[in-house]
Amino acid sequence: MKLGRVVGVVWASGKVKEMEGCRMYIIQPVSSDGAITEMPLVVADPKGLAAPGDTVVFVTSTDATQAFDNGYAPVNASVVELVDRISSCI
Amino acid sequence: MIFARVIGTVVSSQKDPNLNGKKLLLCREVDHEGNPLKTYHVAVDAVQAGEGSFVLLSYGSSARMTDETKNAPIDAVIMAIIDNVQITHQGRSEL
Repeated sequence: MKLGRVVGVVWASGKVKEMEGCRMYIIQPVSSDGAITEMPLVVADPKGLAAPGDTVVFVTSTDATQAFDNGYAPVNASVVELVDRISSCI
Repeated sequence: MIFARVIGTVVSSQKDPNLNGKKLLLCREVDHEGNPLKTYHVAVDAVQAGEGSFVLLSYGSSARMTDETKNAPIDAVIMAIIDNVQITHQGRSEL
């Protein structure tokens, strides 16, 4: 699981039925202090957690499909948590 | 998922039986603005995309997670046709 910031929205009306009602965003992976760590990527938001500007936790690879109720959707990355705050002890 | 532009069709008469009836499209990876990148993919079409469509492509084992591609020996599927991409905050420009 990684931290990311929502930096964009992907609008798509023609989607496979597994993705119906699921929003998609562009996420910029960041570190706990907000610094950019990797290239941006497209993620699905099956639980409707995120909005532009929010910091979120996302998962990639096969694990991303588990964020959907039946674990069945053709996605490579999913938002799984909305971050309220980060307490860092270093 | 990655952004891609459909640039052609792949036709094959001899193939794995599990691929029968599936439309294979040649896609070129693009950035979020549609500018072409270097990578090409052959993907199964699950959303009736046409040539020139700006699409989202899912790859790896996740590509099999649609009714269209279940149990088929594939590793890329077109799972959405993109209407618009809106950048709302600053990130790195290239995807």
